[in-house]
Amino acid sequence: MLIDLSHIQRLYRSDEVETTALLDIHLGIEAGEFVAIMGPSGCGKSTLLNILGTIDRPTSGSYSFGGQELTELGEAALAAFRRENLGYVFQSFNLIDELTIEENIELALIYRRMPKAERRHRVAHAMDHVGIAHRARHYPSQLSGGQQQRAAIARAIVGEPRLILADEPTGNLDTENGAQVMDILQRLNDEGATIVMVTHSPSHADLAKRRVDMLDGQVVISVRNAI
Amino acid sequence: MLATILKSVVRQIRRHPLYVGLNVFGLALGIGVFLTLALLVRYEYGFNAALPDVDRLVRVDTRWSLPGTAPGEYAGSTFHALSFLREDFPEIETAARLENTGLSTVREGNFTAFVSGLTDPSFFRVFGLKLLHGAPDEALARPDGLVLSERAAIRLFGTTDVMGRTVPVNRDGVTVNHTVTGVLARKTTPDFLSDIEMLAPFASSDLTRSCFVAWGSDCGRLYLKLRRPGDIVSVNARMRDFVIRHAAGADSDANALGMHPEKVFGLSLAPLRGARFRDFHVLYADDGVDRTVINSIGLMGLLALALACANAINLATARAGLRAREVAIRKTLGASRKVLFVQFMGEAMLVAVIAGVLGLALCEILVPEVASLTGEALVVRYGLVGVLLPLIVVACGFASGVYPSMVLSGYRPAAVLAAARMPSGGRGAARLRDALVTGQFGIAVTIVICMLVINHQTDFMRTADPGYVRSGLLIGSAMPGNDLAAQRRMLDALRAVPGVVAAGFGELAPSPDNKTRSTYTYDGPSGPVHVHLLQDIVSTSYFEVYRPRLLAGRWFDTARGLDDMPARDETRTRTAGAVLNASAVSRFGFASPAEALGKVIGTGGITARIIGVIDDVRFESPRQAIYPEIIFFDTLSKRPFVDPIPAVRFQGVVESDMARRLNRAWAGVLPDVASDFSAVDARMAAYYSGDERRGRIFTLGAVAALLIACMGLYGLAAFAAARRVHEIGIRKTLGATGRQIVTLLLGDFLRPVVVACLLACPIAWVVMRRWLAGFDERIALTPAHFLIAVAGAVAIAILTVLGQTFHLARAEPARALRAE
Ligand SMILES: Nc1ncnc2c1ncn2[C@@H]1O[C@H](COP(=O)(O)OP(=O)(O)OP(=O)(O)O)[C@@H](O)[C@H]1O
Ligand SMILES: [Mg+2]
Repeated sequence: MLIDLSHIQRLYRSDEVETTALLDIHLGIEAGEFVAIMGPSGCGKSTLLNILGTIDRPTSGSYSFGGQELTELGEAALAAFRRENLGYVFQSFNLIDELTIEENIELALIYRRMPKAERRHRVAHAMDHVGIAHRARHYPSQLSGGQQQRAAIARAIVGEPRLILADEPTGNLDTENGAQVMDILQRLNDEGATIVMVTHSPSHADLAKRRVDMLDGQVVISVRNAI
Repeated sequence: MLATILKSVVRQIRRHPLYVGLNVFGLALGIGVFLTLALLVRYEYGFNAALPDVDRLVRVDTRWSLPGTAPGEYAGSTFHALSFLREDFPEIETAARLENTGLSTVREGNFTAFVSGLTDPSFFRVFGLKLLHGAPDEALARPDGLVLSERAAIRLFGTTDVMGRTVPVNRDGVTVNHTVTGVLARKTTPDFLSDIEMLAPFASSDLTRSCFVAWGSDCGRLYLKLRRPGDIVSVNARMRDFVIRHAAGADSDANALGMHPEKVFGLSLAPLRGARFRDFHVLYADDGVDRTVINSIGLMGLLALALACANAINLATARAGLRAREVAIRKTLGASRKVLFVQFMGEAMLVAVIAGVLGLALCEILVPEVASLTGEALVVRYGLVGVLLPLIVVACGFASGVYPSMVLSGYRPAAVLAAARMPSGGRGAARLRDALVTGQFGIAVTIVICMLVINHQTDFMRTADPGYVRSGLLIGSAMPGNDLAAQRRMLDALRAVPGVVAAGFGELAPSPDNKTRSTYTYDGPSGPVHVHLLQDIVSTSYFEVYRPRLLAGRWFDTARGLDDMPARDETRTRTAGAVLNASAVSRFGFASPAEALGKVIGTGGITARIIGVIDDVRFESPRQAIYPEIIFFDTLSKRPFVDPIPAVRFQGVVESDMARRLNRAWAGVLPDVASDFSAVDARMAAYYSGDERRGRIFTLGAVAALLIACMGLYGLAAFAAARRVHEIGIRKTLGATGRQIVTLLLGDFLRPVVVACLLACPIAWVVMRRWLAGFDERIALTPAHFLIAVAGAVAIAILTVLGQTFHLARAEPARALRAE
């Protein structure tokens, strides 16, 4: 088992109210899986993904990745963990406006102390992979939504992470661009990456190997798709 | 429109109290400091300017070019010249002599000293000063007349209604009853007469003093009122011929200067307008001020204002970015560019007006402080402020409003809405902000370095080795006259005071009043060498009192009769022992102090054999070079001193107690003369105080500049932090650690600060080198001054930025990404 979540709970406390984003999550994910998470708005999908990505901490519960317990790690160790193992694709792209597409992608490698030449090489390769090489020197605001999302995917895969997390990667895209993104994700999965994707589109969910349905902060069903 | 603007400003204050606060207070601080320093500069530039007919008023100055010393311009001239001037120059309408002296009043043996002057009845015709009581033409006409300032009148009688009252005035030990014949009206404009508390006419006995009859002697200043302002130039042009005509005198005339007087002696008319600055380069003109220092203070005020304005611009452009989305949406909804422009400009103006009002309040608080720091009678002049303030407010408002208004109203909504993040005003704005931060810190660091150097130098001047031992030393006022018996009694009385280790006389003392100089000649192997020497005569025990450093030879010895200075009747027949200071030794061209021993020098009147050499002793301003000096010995066996100054070394007694005991001992010998035993520091304070006061102004300016620069950086850091929350979230998601984030942000902020320091150091170096060159005795410009300032600025910048970024770098990335 690559990922093992048990008794994961996430509460948000503000002054007056307490929101339970995740109630009690149990989830295991094998290496090489392609999991699609579905559920109504506000049921906790993004929260779950954030916790998987260690950019948010569960209020309680345990999260082990490749046999290592992550909830006990300190800030610096988590940063190192993300650097080595994770690629993240957001619904709203989250590219840095001040950097070019190329620099945005390179950012995922910068924190790894990789030689410049190798970084260049890998960035070029990743851009080829998603088909935006001709836009390398542009700034995000000069690109269409689909192109920005492909750039974001290139950034997520450039470090060859073991786990790719994608939060509604097709949510802001039209059908054709959406299909292209799904295509890329499937290809990455075929090449061995483990993928967890949140989506509202049943047809895109069907392209994954497994589908997890959530409701009110809990996993309700987990079914394996027929291939 | 106004209502919309007001509402918007109020909303801004509510939503971004930090930005608006920094903006308003930073600007207020800049405006307050600027107004205050502008008032100070105007005060200095306006010095003397309000004297009636100032353009026709001049002081006659003297230029001496004596052998062995650099030529120097001296404030004042011999009174002897006046009658000749009147004869030769019909351009002179009227003239007055003025001698600053220390008059005091006596009541039951207690002396009260006043800032006072002796002058001619024509004084009021020359200067046109107003009298509260009395008639200007008659006030000083009677020999026992006395004019008091309003303050002196109140101090003496508790009222200004004092005409005809009798005041016992003590001058050099003689008390004479004077009758009050005038009271000076108070004035608010500064001039060189502002401090005067008491004016009396010269006594008839004065008219025979050497400075009234000899060309080579002076004791006061000669003021002329010319008929036309243009006369100054024409009279000056004829002054050389005047000197040649009158100062040479007949061969037998001991009061003349002999053949070719114009080679050593010159007279010139120094206009009173602008004298404040010119007098800085004139010797013995005590109220001179360095124009460059005043200009730098003015510049500092301007810079403080510029810094504050830069802040306002910076924060406004930064904030404009935050509002870009709002503007884009408004535009999409149909707001016109003009309406938006007016709104943003209006907001900026309103903020500037608020800041202006606060700045004026600050100025009102600062001015009395600065007045007490500088010792000048500085007041807030609404004439000046009323003109400056609106100008500043409009300029600042416009400067801080124009960029955001243009940019914001010019945004294309599509571009703004398309960008995922809020725009920061683009690369241009970012570069502008960097440049402004660089400029701000550059200015602040330069000022801080200057402040450090100035304060170090003033400190150094106070503490530098003067060539004698300062602590445990008390110096009295000059004992008037040449009464041998009284002088012996005085020394005995002082030596008998418990706690006194040694007591002696010198004719010179720290901050000397009277100086005798003559040209001495040494017939060296390569021809005669002439050096103009300052002369001191000292009594027994002088060496134990001052403890100068002996470089070669020996000090005077009572046992050796030849050391003693010959009495006046035997000067031509006998050689006296003399001690030179190191400067004199090198002026005569001796290779070393030891080389000078045994050599004979003379004036033609006195012949002296050099028996010893001491290190230079500083009795005067550290700005002035030490004068070459010759010291004679007087054992008081036959020859009396002239106006000797007693000095005492004491031990085991608190200074103030000692001074009191000495004053009592003095009163036992000379009850009619005010006694004032005081420490060297107090006597020499006047030499340092000007620099010290201006040092304090620099400190004030440096603190203000640094504060404003930090407010700016703080605001920018806060803004950038807010703007970059999202970016930081992304970076952390990609695996950046908290430390990497802090480093990144620090680097971004410190770059302009470091560049600023690199720019500031050479500028400050050049400026301070020039300033230090004005001191004979000065500190070396070390890297420490620069390092301290740079380290301070960088540390403050780091703290400012860290305070803003630390929590940001620690936050969970998920939260940051949400915060859109
Ligand atoms: N920082 C927060 N503070 C308070 N409540 C939060 C916070 N973040 C999320 N929540 C709440 O937690 C719940 C789950 O949010 P989450 O973003 O995970 O939903 P989601 O399933 O991704 O929804 P969507 O499909 O709309 O993206 C929601 O009710 C949300 O209001
Ligand atoms: Mg979501």
